[in-house]
Formats: sequence, C-alpha cells, structure tokens
Amino acid sequence: MPFELVPPGTHIDFIGKRRVAATISIALLLAGAIAVFVNGVKLGIDFQGGTEMQVLFEDQVDVDEGAIRSAVSACGIEDSSVIRYGEAAGREFLIRFQAGEVATAGGDGCPLTPEQKEALERAKLSGGGGGDEGEKGETIDKLAYALGNAIGRLEVQRVEFVGPRVGSELRSNGLKSLLVACILILMYIAFRFSVRFAPGAIIALVHDIGITAGIFVILGLEFDLRVLAALLAILGYSLNDTIIIYDRIRENMELRTKFDLVDVLNQSVNQTLARTVLTSGTTMAAVLSLWILGGEVIRPFAIAMAIGIVVGTYSSVFIASPTLLFLERRFGGTSAAVGPASEVAASVRREAPPRRYAGSSKAKRRKKKRR
Amino acid sequence: MSLRWRAIWVIATVVLFGYYAVANIASEETRLESPLIPDNALRLGLDLRGGIHWVIGVKLGATEDHELSFLIGLLEDDLERDKVVVGKIEVVDHQLRIETFTDLARDAVREWIGDTEQLVEVGDDPELLTFELSELRRQQVREQGMSQVLEVLRRRIADPMKGIPDSVVTRQGDDRVLVQIPGGSLDRARAREMLRVTGFLEFKIVMDVAQTEELLRAKYPDGVLPENTTVAFERDKETDRVLSAYLVGVEADLTGDYLTDARPGFDNQQRPQVDFTFNPAGGELFQSLTEANIGEQLAIILDDRVYSAPTIQSRIATRGTISGRFTVDEASDLSVILRAGSLSVPVVIEEERTVGPALGADSIRRGLRAMIVGLAVILSFTTFYYRLSGFYASAALAANLLILIGVMSMFEATLTLPGLAGIVLTVGMAVDANVIIFERIREELRAHKTPRAAISTGFSKAFWTIMDANITTLGTAIVLYNYGTGPIKGFAVTLSIGVVTSVFAALVITRLMFAVYPGDRHVESLSI
Repeated sequence: MPFELVPPGTHIDFIGKRRVAATISIALLLAGAIAVFVNGVKLGIDFQGGTEMQVLFEDQVDVDEGAIRSAVSACGIEDSSVIRYGEAAGREFLIRFQAGEVATAGGDGCPLTPEQKEALERAKLSGGGGGDEGEKGETIDKLAYALGNAIGRLEVQRVEFVGPRVGSELRSNGLKSLLVACILILMYIAFRFSVRFAPGAIIALVHDIGITAGIFVILGLEFDLRVLAALLAILGYSLNDTIIIYDRIRENMELRTKFDLVDVLNQSVNQTLARTVLTSGTTMAAVLSLWILGGEVIRPFAIAMAIGIVVGTYSSVFIASPTLLFLERRFGGTSAAVGPASEVAASVRREAPPRRYAGSSKAKRRKKKRR
Repeated sequence: MSLRWRAIWVIATVVLFGYYAVANIASEETRLESPLIPDNALRLGLDLRGGIHWVIGVKLGATEDHELSFLIGLLEDDLERDKVVVGKIEVVDHQLRIETFTDLARDAVREWIGDTEQLVEVGDDPELLTFELSELRRQQVREQGMSQVLEVLRRRIADPMKGIPDSVVTRQGDDRVLVQIPGGSLDRARAREMLRVTGFLEFKIVMDVAQTEELLRAKYPDGVLPENTTVAFERDKETDRVLSAYLVGVEADLTGDYLTDARPGFDNQQRPQVDFTFNPAGGELFQSLTEANIGEQLAIILDDRVYSAPTIQSRIATRGTISGRFTVDEASDLSVILRAGSLSVPVVIEEERTVGPALGADSIRRGLRAMIVGLAVILSFTTFYYRLSGFYASAALAANLLILIGVMSMFEATLTLPGLAGIVLTVGMAVDANVIIFERIREELRAHKTPRAAISTGFSKAFWTIMDANITTLGTAIVLYNYGTGPIKGFAVTLSIGVVTSVFAALVITRLMFAVYPGDRHVESLSI
C-alpha cells in the first residue's frame, strides 16, 4: 500500500463550512484593518526613505544599543533606531534613521577623519563644487568614524539609503505592480476557464494579500521590497492552488450532465486535497529552511512567504471555491442549485478553449506506429 | 520520436546545462584559460559579491538654468553693443526674466529672443519679460545634460582602462544614472569622491615642444628636464601613438574647476572652434595668464593627456575660444570633453545599497546552506512518500536545479540574494508538478486501471493543470521583473526561469523515466 497523508475517499464537507471560513477570514481582515489604525503600517526605508547601516563590531569590543544610540545622537541624528541584528553574539547592529544632517563642524562627540576635514576644506574652497551629491554618503562615513572612535573598531557591513523621491516611487510602483498582476491573472482565468471563475480567484488573491499584510501589521513587521516580492510570489503561489482546484471543478462538471454544484465543489476540493497538502508542505520546507538558515537579510521575505503559504492554502480550499458557489447562487440564475450549476458547465464548455491533451494524442499515434 | 532519441535529447540537455552549472565552481581565470570550461558563468549581484549600488539623480533643472545663463551672457553682450538699456536680467524657476523700461528695449529683446529660436515667451507683464526654453530645446538641453553626466561618470568610474574594474554606469530612465561598483576595489568614501571632483582638466603654458620625449629631452643637458616641469603627451586618438611631447609645469596654471561651459562654435571664417566660459574667478586668472603669454602655446590637458595646444592670440577673459584645425565633429567632441570634465550638472545620490564583501560572502554561504537543506528535506520526503516514482521526481528535481543554474550561467544572468531565495522557493514549488501527476496516477490506479494506463492518463490529465498553474506564476514573476529594482529583479529572474525548468522537468524528464521503466512492460503494480 502506498503511503498516504490524505487517505483516499476522504470527504470533508469544506463547502459546508463556508460560513465559518468566511467569518474567520473577515475577522482576520478586520483585525488587520484595526491594526492598521492602532499600530500604523510600518514601512521600511525602501518605501519611506531613510538610511540603514548594518555594523559589526570587532570581537573584544563591549557594546550595547544605548552606547551606539548616544554616539549616533552626538552626531546630530536624533531619530535613530538601533537594534541588535544577526547572530554575531550581539556585536552586530542595525542603525536606522531618517535622512538626517550631521553637524558638519565636527564637534567633540562626532569627530571627523583627517580626510574628511580635508574634503570639507576643499569643498569650501571650490565653493561647493559638484553640488550636494555627497551629503548622505558623508553622513554614513562620519557616523562610522564616530562610532569607531566612541565605541571600538567596527566594520560597516551594509548601507542602504533611499531618498524620498525613490521611496515614494517604489511605494506607488509597488502597489501598481500588485494591481497589474491581479488584472493579468483575472484575464488569464477568464480566458482559460470562464469569466465566472475569475472573481473567485481574485477574491482569494485579495484575501491572501490582505490577510498576509494584516498579519504583518499585527505583528509589527515592516514592509519593504523583500516583503513586496514575497507578496507577489504569494499571489503566484495561491493562484496555483486555486487554479488546480478550479481545473478539477471544471473537469468534474464536464463529466456529468446533472449535478449539484455543492457536491462538485466538495468533491473537487477533496480530490485535490492530497496535492494541496503535499505541495504546501514541500514549499513550506523550502521557505522554513530559508527562514532558519538563510540569514537575517532574507528573513523578512521568508516570514512573509511562510504566512502567505498558510493563508494561500487555506483560501484555495475555503474561499475560492465557495466564492464560486456564492456568485453562482446570487448571479447565476433563480432556480435551485442544479440549474445554475449546469449553466456554469455549459459556459465552461462554451468559453474554454478546446482541451487538447497533447500527451494522449501523441500516445495514440505512437501506439499506431508500433502496431 | 522514439524513446531512444527522447532519452538522448533529454540527457544531452541535462548534461549541457549541468556542465554550465557545475563550471561555476571553477575560478574565473581557470574558466577563461581552459578551452574545455565555458567562459559564461553566473554573475554575482552586488549584494552577494559586495559592492556599491547607486542610483544617482541628475538635477536637470540646473542644466536648464545653465543654458539660460549662457544665453544671458550672449544677450548682454549684444544689448551692450547695440546700446539697448534694460534692467535686471536673471534666471528664476527655470525662466529667464528681463526687466525692461521702454518699448524699444522690449522690441530689441524680443527680436533677439526670436532669433535664438530657443525660447518662448510666457507671462504678460510688459515690465518684466519672461521666457522659457521651448519644449524642443528643453528636451535637447536635458538630453545633453544626461549625456554629459553619463560621459563624466563613465570616464571616472567605468572607463575600461582607468576606471574601476567591472564597474558599470548606465542610464536609468529620464534623469537617473545607475552606478554599480563591485566590492573590495574601492571604499565608499573614495567612490563618493569620484562623484564629487569637478574635473581633471588643466591648462598649462607650454615651455617647449618636440615630437617625442627623447627629442624633447635631447634639448637639455644630459636629458634632465628643468625643475618643476613634466612631459605631457598629445596622442593619436585611435592608435595612442605620441604625436607631440610638451614640456609643461608640474602645477597647472589653471584647472577645469573654473570652467562653466564649453560648446562648439564657428569663427568669422566659419571654421569650427570651441567656445568656453570661465566663472568670474577663473576669468581673472585666465586673463592674467593669457596676457602674460601671448604668442605662447597653451596646453589643454584632460586626464594627463593633451587634447590641444593652441597658440594664445590675445588676452582672454571669461569667454575664450580654442581654435585649431578642428572638424565640426572634433570641435563638438572637445566641447563635450571640456564640459564632461566639469561636472556642471549637480547630481545627488537618490538610492544606495552597499554591501561589504564579508556580508556578501556570508549571504552566499547561508543561501547555499538553506538551499541544500531545503533540497535534502524535499528529496528525502518525496522519495519516501512516492518510492520509485518519488525517486524519479527527486532526480528530475536535481536535474531541474542544474538546468536552472545552467541557463542562468549560459546567459550570464545576475544572481542576487533574493534570486537565491527564488531558487530555494523554486525547489519547494517544483515538486508540485510531480505531485499533481502522481496524485492523478494514484487516483487512476484506485479506479482499477492498469499501471500503464494510469501513467498515461495521469500525465495527460495533469498537463493543462500544470500549464495553467505555472503560466500564472510566470505572469506574476514578469510583473515583478518589470517593477523591481536591483536585487528584487534577480528574484523575478530565477522565479521565471525556475517555472519553465520545473515544467520541463516534470513533463519531460519524469515522463521519460516512466517510459524507461515500467514503459511498455506489463507490471502488476506501480511503486508510487
């Protein structure tokens, strides 16, 4: 006997639990929405603009957040946040601040390197020269030097700076990309399946993005480009799940002339359940190994993906198919379930492109040849 | 296609791409030296390799102002010549504003403006005439500004000879430049200094000249040059052959720092020349320099290279000309170089992503570890769950990974940290296609079909499901690619290629293995 996670003949009444599922989903979405008002949406520097510095102090240096914070504010940067980062036994820190100005005079707290003094002199002599291109960069170099002086030897491992213009562009383009992806998906489903299938998929997608983003807000995690990439990947992933179930629904509809839509939906979800569970499992395994082993820089991506996989899997089973049912009952016609369902089937047959099984026709040809 | 040919084709594909993938282990030198190892390999993104990634915004508004200021200079000269009296002339908000008091002056100004064909009048205050650059001219000016900045930055950073190895300067959109400087070769402070310096343009009075350095040195006892002098060469642009050797002072008499503009023009006999403008301070220096050296040659040196050494004809103040036997193209090239030497367009760093080499190496290590562990878990689970078929799927997954990396290597795609994450994710999702097929086959077996029939139906029924699911994923990846910047693009790239290779692995490679065994044999049961 093959090893089976989901035993054959499993028949869980997923569709019957649609009200429970809808309640849970709406509750989660609401919680997310409330959290947006209560916690506010935390934007990373990608979307908000700002500077981020990852520094690693050398082995023997005794350092904590407070020391760094005071050294940073001695340089005239008041709104900095300093957090421990990475795994280097508490010697690695992430310093973040809004693009601030460093006191150029080089006061006691924020000393300048000889080269910086020289550069400053030169800048004064040539009357500003090339303009203000170096300000932010200088802030970082000065800060690194000041930290080195005040605390101990360190290495700047990573610097990210996003100016306000780039930040707002990334923000609006990011939202645009989510929208464009949704529209493309809608069009593809309308083309491959039926216009009636598309809203269910879209609702599932909006649901996934909404809940994943909501959980991010509730947990107080930050949105940045990595998270956006994960959200788009979740779109693709969740859709994958939904399409596979839809595909089965369509197939089951074509097999029979008369059926009850609820039955067909339930049957389809159950038939694909093993696949749903397995694929979620393997994808989750990959994402978890990224989460645990991939390091700090990639972790936000992995966290968003992991949440998204759970939500996406849940939505394909509990949201996408019931939405189909809901829409059919509401807009599909007035008679009982049987009527609109066969209508769906008819529309599927009408609108779907002819199903060519490339594989099977080739197989037939091969068989003929061999004979 | 017969089974044999199919097998040969598939194996050849896997071997070819696998070869490209594995060749990444070899160092770059070995790759380039050995005729057996392909030269193409994955490029590491700056976030893995370490390096500086800058998006530099070019303030093109300043270029417009600059153009207007240049016109003001000409206008003032002409008005002075024609004895037309006007009030203050200034540039405000990219507009040229001229205070006028009489209709005569207004007409003169309007006529002059009309002749330039570069400005259009806006506003209707007769006391204060306001002009803007015409749309066409504005575009031209902005384009010129962009090419100037690109030229300077390329010369300073990405020059194949003198620049930083492997660094890249590319235009991004209307008013941005992307600068990528790979790690280790330069620290941030020095890189920034390269943006800052105004130019390496120098003016030096020529003390002596000869055809070669030897001939020049021969003029002096024992070939020892006078104190505080050095030799600068004029070289042929193509061949780099020395055309002339000039004896000049070590210190420049004047530098490009004072240059505000240079553009091609014509003298009164319509011979091409280059007109240049100094700022007031430079003008004073230049005036006294030229006054003292009429009849001498003035070497114009850019990046230690003499571009021309015209003879000083007269005292020159803020605006001067460089005449020589220029062609029109040469004159315009030289003016570009002069302008390029002085980065007159202000630039500002709008985005920076810098990663130290140590962190980059650490990211690679962690990424690989995550990939290997993820792969191991998935392979062992799949083999355990589907047994022989699972082993097929595992082999296909391994081949998939090889092909994915091989394709990326062949096209020299850039691998970033998110890209690495994309590969790990692909590993997780790639099994999906096989799971769909295998679950289908199991279903068919449960419906009491023979293994052979079950395999055939399983594959054919799963075909469009797999296609639909993957085409949509590909769609989102492409959207991401179009939107993404830098490293995120790398994620989209690996995800898209991964989708294609996964489908290939499941539908072609796994299928082939089933065709080999059980194939046409009448097996009683299937290990699935």
